[in-house]
Amino acid sequence: MGRAIVITSGKGGVGKTTTTANLGAALAALGHTVVLVDADIGLRNLDVVMGLENRIVYHVVDAIQGKCSVQKALIKDRRLDNLWLLPASQTDDKDSVTPADMRSLIFELKTMYDFVLIDCPAGIEQGFKNAIAGADEAIVVATPEVSSIRDADRVVGLLAAADIQAQLIVNRISPHLVKRGDMLSQSDVIEILSLEMLGAIPLDNQVIATTNKGVPAVLEGKSLAAKEFIRIAKRISGLEVERESVGFFTRIGRALGLSATPA
Amino acid sequence: MWNNLKNLIYGKSSSSVAKGRLHLVLAQDRTGLDGGRLQEMRAEIAAVIAKYVPIDAEAVEIQIETRSRETQLTVSSAIQPRNA
Repeated sequence: MGRAIVITSGKGGVGKTTTTANLGAALAALGHTVVLVDADIGLRNLDVVMGLENRIVYHVVDAIQGKCSVQKALIKDRRLDNLWLLPASQTDDKDSVTPADMRSLIFELKTMYDFVLIDCPAGIEQGFKNAIAGADEAIVVATPEVSSIRDADRVVGLLAAADIQAQLIVNRISPHLVKRGDMLSQSDVIEILSLEMLGAIPLDNQVIATTNKGVPAVLEGKSLAAKEFIRIAKRISGLEVERESVGFFTRIGRALGLSATPA
Repeated sequence: MWNNLKNLIYGKSSSSVAKGRLHLVLAQDRTGLDGGRLQEMRAEIAAVIAKYVPIDAEAVEIQIETRSRETQLTVSSAIQPRNA
């Protein structure tokens, strides 16, 4: 039985869809079978980010309403052997699907794939409830900004109420701004949200360029963001990832209790 | 540590301002208690304390803050000496 992971954030525009696409591609490249489910019904985007928009015939609402089988609605990504997309509908609205529908759909997909990654819509209303209904675990994406972190905290609370454990990805972090004191660092974000962190994706122009082309960054080149997505995918799949190397003075400082060790 | 030192020299960085604001706003979000309600509560608590010990009701401070998923409510007040 596979694992169903919902990628969520509360706030829009922080990189949920990009994260879903890249983690999916990275997990598939590691040899896992992966299906990406776009749960943003009415505002689908995962298809264009993946570059699969021209191949959609049926979508998730068709599958749920029995207009086609689930298999028929799945699109195979030809760049990787074991990556699939279940696109959202662009014409229906969120209310055409219930949490119970999603639960049984995700359950069915879990019997077929190692990983079911669910791209959650922004917000905390019906679309969010649908997206988390079938999930076993959650990845919360937040950018190091006040509004994004606030919304992430709200979502973590809602996930906890639904008994779903959340882990954090900090997206679009700029080491330069952090150093200057003008951006929250990843350890600041961890401290504020008190969540376990999967990784921090650096702000990377390459992601913008690859998204323009409909190619997940991990499939093209070795950009910094791509490397981090691959590292996170390894961590998710349980492959051991070496801890970041810690400098000599930092280690001494920690030993002396001078700086907080990130959780 | 270096950042603390820098703060001392150059004033607070925008990221530490953000952090402080987040600690407060998350505490308010998690408890569902916004700033106005908090001040109402402050006034009521001050009135209760004043029934038992002499205090300056205006100087009672109230604060909610979140650290590591726990939200703490702190009320502090100086007690005036007797026969002051």
